[in-house]
Amino acid sequence: MFAIIVGTHGKFSEELIKTCEMICGATKNVKTVTLIPGEGPDDIVGKYKDAIAHMDTDGRVLFLNDLFGGSPYNAACRLVIENEQYGIVTGVNLPMLIEMVSVQMTDEETDIKGLMEKAIKAGQAGIQTFHASAIAEEAEDDL
Amino acid sequence: MNIVLARIDDRLIHGQVATVWSKSTGCQRIIVCDDEVAADSIRSTLLKQVAPPGIKSHVVDVDKAVRVYNNPKYAEDKCMLLFTNPTSVLRLVNAGVPITSINIGGMSFKEGKHQITGAVSVNDEDIAAFKSLNEKGIELEIRKVDSDKKVMLMDVLK
Repeated sequence: MFAIIVGTHGKFSEELIKTCEMICGATKNVKTVTLIPGEGPDDIVGKYKDAIAHMDTDGRVLFLNDLFGGSPYNAACRLVIENEQYGIVTGVNLPMLIEMVSVQMTDEETDIKGLMEKAIKAGQAGIQTFHASAIAEEAEDDL
Repeated sequence: MNIVLARIDDRLIHGQVATVWSKSTGCQRIIVCDDEVAADSIRSTLLKQVAPPGIKSHVVDVDKAVRVYNNPKYAEDKCMLLFTNPTSVLRLVNAGVPITSINIGGMSFKEGKHQITGAVSVNDEDIAAFKSLNEKGIELEIRKVDSDKKVMLMDVLK
């Protein structure tokens, strides 16, 4: 099973996992890494290494970070550059996390790049709009 | 129609259904079977637009649900049926729709109901309907999501 690490500024990652579990039940192989004000890049790298050491991983580690270019992302890059089975996707949101948690339960095949692709698709598909004007346009599809 | 899941959940289409159940059942259609919701055009319009990608959602009253079930046009379709209460399920079963197991996901607390598990509250009418369904040999299992352990409703309905 691949490992998921959600690395964010502050406790966003911890709360995001709790919210995700409200919807899909307990997660198994997901850890959070938080950046607390005052911590530096080395602290975060250490936390990532520690998380990986305590996870059940077949080698593949997917980092989901909140912000491209932010410290949690920059620290993850330092690990990812040295391991081809690691990958990062930024802009983590709830639809992305839910999708990857469910992929995690079933998928044994996809390589890390394929997993990254799935995460991006789910994150993007979760962004939708709704406005009253949409109703009139919608073609009725009745049974 | 191939009924891949019959679920009672008065939130109808929401997070657990849209993400977890729609995937684990592989359904092509989600059909809300409820007289009250079908008569409420705003609710049914909103339900129709929250179908997960690739899945069609529909809102029909119970009588129409029976007709849809019997329509050969949908014979091959994998459908998830959603209900707000067991009385609607019983009506469907009594009209000859073969349901062997019912998943109870959520029935919210209201005045006059009593809570039997964290997510399930029932009133006298619900209890009577559940008892009839149970007597027909239909499994009544409480689970919020697929990976939860089944809790048998009749065991907690005491």
